[in-house]
Amino acid sequence: MDRLDEMLLELKDTSELMIDLAYSSLLYNNKEIAEEVVLMEEMLDELANDIQRRAIVRAMDDRDEGKAFAIIKLAVAVEEISDAAMQIATVTIQEDEPHPVIRLSIKDADTTITRAEIKPGSDLVGKSLGKMRLASQSGMWVVAVKRERKYLYGPDKNVVLQVGDVVIARGPPEAEQYFQDICDGKERLEEP
Amino acid sequence: MIDIGREKRLDKYDLAHATVREILTEMKDISEIMVDLAYASIMFDSEEIAEEVKNLEEDMEELSKNIRIKAMLAARTHKEAAKLSSLLEVASASRRISNAAGDIVKIMEVDVAKRPFLGFILREAEEKIKRLSLAEGSDMVGRLIGELGVESETGMRIIAIKRGKRWIYDPEEDTKLKAGDVLIVRGTEDGYEVLRSYANGEERWPVYPEEEED
Repeated sequence: MDRLDEMLLELKDTSELMIDLAYSSLLYNNKEIAEEVVLMEEMLDELANDIQRRAIVRAMDDRDEGKAFAIIKLAVAVEEISDAAMQIATVTIQEDEPHPVIRLSIKDADTTITRAEIKPGSDLVGKSLGKMRLASQSGMWVVAVKRERKYLYGPDKNVVLQVGDVVIARGPPEAEQYFQDICDGKERLEEP
Repeated sequence: MIDIGREKRLDKYDLAHATVREILTEMKDISEIMVDLAYASIMFDSEEIAEEVKNLEEDMEELSKNIRIKAMLAARTHKEAAKLSSLLEVASASRRISNAAGDIVKIMEVDVAKRPFLGFILREAEEKIKRLSLAEGSDMVGRLIGELGVESETGMRIIAIKRGKRWIYDPEEDTKLKAGDVLIVRGTEDGYEVLRSYANGEERWPVYPEEEED
């Protein structure tokens, strides 16, 4: 895989994670998550710049300005999404308590955010997110895991959950209860 | 071109009577579906999906204007105005996402031969955009998206449906699926595999005890 492609992929995936985290920070009035979004935005700023520079360098070499143009356009647009995420996170940082209507809107939306603690007896204990195919089985996509005091943002499929982990996930409101029940140990997941 | 999805969205409620909460929810929903549709338009080189993104961008402008007016009318004290101003920040961020989606579809103007890398990136992304068609023998046929609970069951969100020559964008819960529908979906690889096995009729859609009791 081309290095430039890899960088674009990271830019895209991170920008989407940032949006989810930014809304999570608002919903739970969580300034720590909001600060992380700000850090990610700084990182993506540099990444987007780097992508644009590399695209230009490559165009000087292969004379394919059309391709470089498309890459630059995409990088700029995706970076804009990460700016929007930071704008949302900034509201969390600056407000003591966000307007209650914001939370209601996040809860009403087609895609909402939920949070659950992993209880003893849950099928998720000791299993990796990928192995349990949590996203496809529950409809909820994990955006962060809080273990003791530390957050793990955008966990990959190899992350193994433990009792006491607090999982923040994004998905349709109708999947929320099932997801809570899985984390609680009240519902079982199919073993792959 | 008949465009059910869009008509429905605009008819959903009268904007003049909508609350700030309803408009903000709508803005969040539209901004997110726009990003998915923007990537889908590039992925499948679809001018029609790109056109829908542009239409939604216009809707967002309208919503954005309305939410500002309503917020201004709602504030009676300085404190309320300050709170509402931060709510408007969130609305403005949604609009920004929608503008970014509009910029993504502009990449369509670049010759398709110059953007092969895009399909590659979208195939490798954590959440992918895929396409599948509904076979005659699938038991999803004739059922409503909401009744099946497609997203909670498989983790795959249906972002658009192509039915013959028509498109249904961001289909609602009460959209009935038909044989031959082409679904544009977003989610993980294994969610896609699961959904595909239901869509091509290989697997039966799961039935749970609670459902049978109803």
